[in-house]
Amino acid sequence: MALKTPPKTGAREISTSLYCYGVTWAETARPQEAAGLAGKSVEPVRFEELAALTSETPPGKVRARRADLMCHFDVLSTAFERGTVIPLRFGMVFDDEATLVEELLRPRRDELVVLLRELGDRVELRVSAHYREEAILAEIVRENPRVARLRGERSQPLLIELGELVAREVQARTNRDARGILERLGSLALGREVDEEPIEHQVLRASFLVERKRIRAFDAAMEDIASGQAGRIDFKYVGPLPPHSFVGLEAG
Amino acid sequence: MAVATRGTASNYLQRAPSPSGLADVVDLILDKGLVIDAYVRVAVIGIELLTIDARIVIASVDTYLRFAEAVNRLDLTQTEAAGLAELRDGGGGGNGDGKAKGMVEGAKEKASDAKEGLKERVGRD
Repeated sequence: MALKTPPKTGAREISTSLYCYGVTWAETARPQEAAGLAGKSVEPVRFEELAALTSETPPGKVRARRADLMCHFDVLSTAFERGTVIPLRFGMVFDDEATLVEELLRPRRDELVVLLRELGDRVELRVSAHYREEAILAEIVRENPRVARLRGERSQPLLIELGELVAREVQARTNRDARGILERLGSLALGREVDEEPIEHQVLRASFLVERKRIRAFDAAMEDIASGQAGRIDFKYVGPLPPHSFVGLEAG
Repeated sequence: MAVATRGTASNYLQRAPSPSGLADVVDLILDKGLVIDAYVRVAVIGIELLTIDARIVIASVDTYLRFAEAVNRLDLTQTEAAGLAELRDGGGGGNGDGKAKGMVEGAKEKASDAKEGLKERVGRD
């Protein structure tokens, strides 16, 4: 299969742009036929030892339907199976190959190379934990006498007091449980990123950067923590993933 | 305490190679990943905003009332019995299976469906 067609010359109107999924080593970069957005093929754009994974896209607005997000993720996952990859955030579009090289690969070459080397044997593991509502509320009723006493009240001010008390208890438990989980899992990871926006009944949502050789240890710790909290906290454990959460570059 | 309901627990750890729900994919693909200032990001208007809207903020009167209702609805007889059994013979007896659990899980599903629905709409154009 031919690599990309050269950028259109002549008239200034651009008929296609290049959507960029991520950056990988040139030597492990492979095309992915019909795997890109809108069924376009994914093609590497190479610069020295780097390759950006791209596909053609109509200029203008990039849509972000479920299928498009999954597609972005899948292209990176496929690349990740073959080698190291730096995921870009959804929605990065360049005018053409030359722009991509001049704006991304050339000026950032050294940093990208360092990052790819660093990430060589590392994966992202993502953990989220949620309370089972009934279990956590029952626990609070049992342990807080004031909550137990207010239970069954019907007047608005008392209901609000009850709810506020319960919310505070949930928050205190969230802090305590999240800290415990983070300490345990964090000790097996090289880095961690905790998502801060609170979601109701969520104890924790975090990503861990883990060396491949420690994935098993992480699995075991995860199983141990989750079984210890069974019935109270449900866990979701996703990975190994490309290191989406661990690819920061210096601004500029 | 937690031990009391341990007997009901199944599926406490869900393991998957890749994110399944739209919310999880949005978290990973829209909120994370490399961003470079020199890029031309033809973004998807409103996505960030709406995904934040989809998250529930804890401190509000509405939330307090919801919590209060949930606590008032709670059927403690089973968990309490389990807790007492726990105290009495030091372990194991907890089994809050059945209707109450079913209802709570149903509600939880509905809640996360609603969230999904919202994000689904976000993702739609």
